[in-house]
Amino acid sequence: MGIDLGTTNSLAAVRAGKGARVLRDLAGEALLPSVVCFHPDGRTIVGRDAKAMRLQVPDRTVFSVKRLVGRSARELEAEAKGLPYRVVAGERDLPRVQIGDHQHSPESISALILHQVKANAEQALGQSVREAVVTVPAWFDDAQRQATKDAAALAGLDCLRILNEPTAAALAYGIDGTKDGTALVYDLGGGTFDVSILRIEDGVFRVLSTAGDTHLGGDDFDELLAQRIHKTLPKTSDPYVLQAVRAAAEGLKIQLSSAESAALDLDLGSHGTTRFTVTRAEFEAAIAPLVQRTLDCVQRAVKDAGLRLDEIDDVVLVGGSTRVPLVRARLQALTGKVPHTGVDPDLAVALGASIQADVLAGNDRSLLLLDVIPLSLGLETLGGAVQKLILRNSTIPTSVTEEFSTGVDNQTAVDLAIYQGERELAKDCRLLGHFKLRGLPALPAGLPRIAVTFLVDADGVLRVTAREQRTGVQASIQIVPSFGLTRDEVRRMMLDSIEHAQTDYVAREAIDVRNKAEAMVRGTQKALALSDLPPDQTYAVQKAVKALAKHLVAGADTATLKAACDELGKLTATIADDVISSAVTKALREEHKP
Amino acid sequence: MIHVPAPDPFTVFGVPRSLDLDARTLERRYLALSRECHPDQLRSQETGDCLAVLARAAEVNDAWRILRDPWQRAKALLESASPGVLDRNKKLDPGFLAEALELAEEVAFARGDTIAPLRARLQQALDEDLVALRDHVGRGDLDAAARRFHASHYHKKALQDLDQKA
Repeated sequence: MGIDLGTTNSLAAVRAGKGARVLRDLAGEALLPSVVCFHPDGRTIVGRDAKAMRLQVPDRTVFSVKRLVGRSARELEAEAKGLPYRVVAGERDLPRVQIGDHQHSPESISALILHQVKANAEQALGQSVREAVVTVPAWFDDAQRQATKDAAALAGLDCLRILNEPTAAALAYGIDGTKDGTALVYDLGGGTFDVSILRIEDGVFRVLSTAGDTHLGGDDFDELLAQRIHKTLPKTSDPYVLQAVRAAAEGLKIQLSSAESAALDLDLGSHGTTRFTVTRAEFEAAIAPLVQRTLDCVQRAVKDAGLRLDEIDDVVLVGGSTRVPLVRARLQALTGKVPHTGVDPDLAVALGASIQADVLAGNDRSLLLLDVIPLSLGLETLGGAVQKLILRNSTIPTSVTEEFSTGVDNQTAVDLAIYQGERELAKDCRLLGHFKLRGLPALPAGLPRIAVTFLVDADGVLRVTAREQRTGVQASIQIVPSFGLTRDEVRRMMLDSIEHAQTDYVAREAIDVRNKAEAMVRGTQKALALSDLPPDQTYAVQKAVKALAKHLVAGADTATLKAACDELGKLTATIADDVISSAVTKALREEHKP
Repeated sequence: MIHVPAPDPFTVFGVPRSLDLDARTLERRYLALSRECHPDQLRSQETGDCLAVLARAAEVNDAWRILRDPWQRAKALLESASPGVLDRNKKLDPGFLAEALELAEEVAFARGDTIAPLRARLQQALDEDLVALRDHVGRGDLDAAARRFHASHYHKKALQDLDQKA
């Protein structure tokens, strides 16, 4: 079974013959609203009936819980203010939904939705279902993926694979075998946006690149309309009014997909009344910046795939929010292609997930998905820079082995911090975890050779091993999701890495030059002690080393340090094939991997 | 686990150690290998040694990343044909370095109209580097090939810096 656990709606599908079919409930509906109502009478209601309770018990009816999953309470503070239900900080700053005296984790609420999907599916199939592929936005990071896995487990499901939504949609789109070529999947859902570029060939679905924003979707369109409606009403934070206005805004948005203008007559009793009219042009002007953000992602994905826009054969639309005419028009203008609408944008993800579930069950060996890791992974090096080991959009599984060394004489333990993100400095990336390598042989700085291997498996889960080459000392960890950093940074990481490319570069260069200078001083001094140079050369080298060391202590700027390094480099380089040159080169190689 | 150095990408793909590999043939080989080695295809077979399956699949993906890029392919070829050849040939001709310095300055001062022609020149220099590298490898002069490989870095870096300005 494949499950699309959406921000707004969820649904399940199963493989049927060459294709797949969605599972419908007794009323014949495929989409289950991702809404949970904790009714004051003690019932827990999920789906359409829960959505109907939005206005009756607004503070006990939870929607869009996917936006809370895998994030910290602090990051959600601003957003939580606009919600009719209460989000509070639990232990480890994890968000909790407060209903009466009870606190619910986003995972447990997601699990209630998954459980209902499972129950509906079992009803439709007439048999029990245990194994499922659950989809997530491609742009979800480790913590968000893990939280989704946890929710599936809570719902009594064995999660075969966490699958990226646009990849799943591409599978549904290309399953008939007639779509070989390069496809761009544009997936704008209720709360998240993804774009993936895939090459489809002989049953192999290869993701070339992916980009996105975990916090951009139809909810944000609704919110812009809701803000306008609120301006016509007395200011309030009453949950009933918030829910009513939100529902009205969604209704207006849907009307505007086919009409040129939409009117609203809202009677909120003691909270006032409003007559509100909005034209499509006004709506489009309001959402244009958001749509532009998605187009920026599209261009980045195309560039990362090593392609030009005119090399895209087909554009596939996924997610209910692609029904907004402006979205279609702008995407068509950018790509020059009429978007493909053969697969229902609401159903494509679940259909694709069920196909992958069938493949994983070993029933279909004609299909193969090759997916990528959305964000780069790296290690913190001296001075807070991040050395990227696995670049974003690498096909998984993938592994990289790099050699590192110690920075201090007789250092016997090394602490390695693993980061995910695109920025140059550790403080701007997301800390995934730490691990320690202990029992290193006591050696001068720079001598130990520590080989660190990053292996990302087909689920996108990272495994790290490290080993000192001379002694064979080994350590490894499983990455545990950390909630230490603000999620806003993760969401903005890609954009930031472009906007701040210049300042990042300068900061990174300053650290690099300083590290290089320190290594040069250490290496040259060590080599001088061992070497047998003529006195005049020894003197010249010593002088240059002292000058460099002095600059280091004085905290000289990058340019000065660079010049002093070059000076010393020239001196050691002229002593051809001499011990100094080789020792310095060696020290640098150990210290300063490219 | 014992650390085993990764086999070179040519061995992983079972293709000749050559710079002249047909892109399409390579791609087909990659897809065929993926079908053989990807964990998804082996999932139902109770493969006892999961880590080995993963490592093999990662090897295939990583070899593909290297082989499809002409520069990474060249680097892998040089290292596998003569280990350490790149390290031994780091010293470049002073004349070339002076030229490279001039290029870097040109990049630093490039403005508006001068950027496009400079980019074309750098791209051409890079193309020539690849042709020369291939010639050296063809004649069996790996040292010269390694020097040319290092030299190409200056052109690549200049091109990168220029793109960053644009």
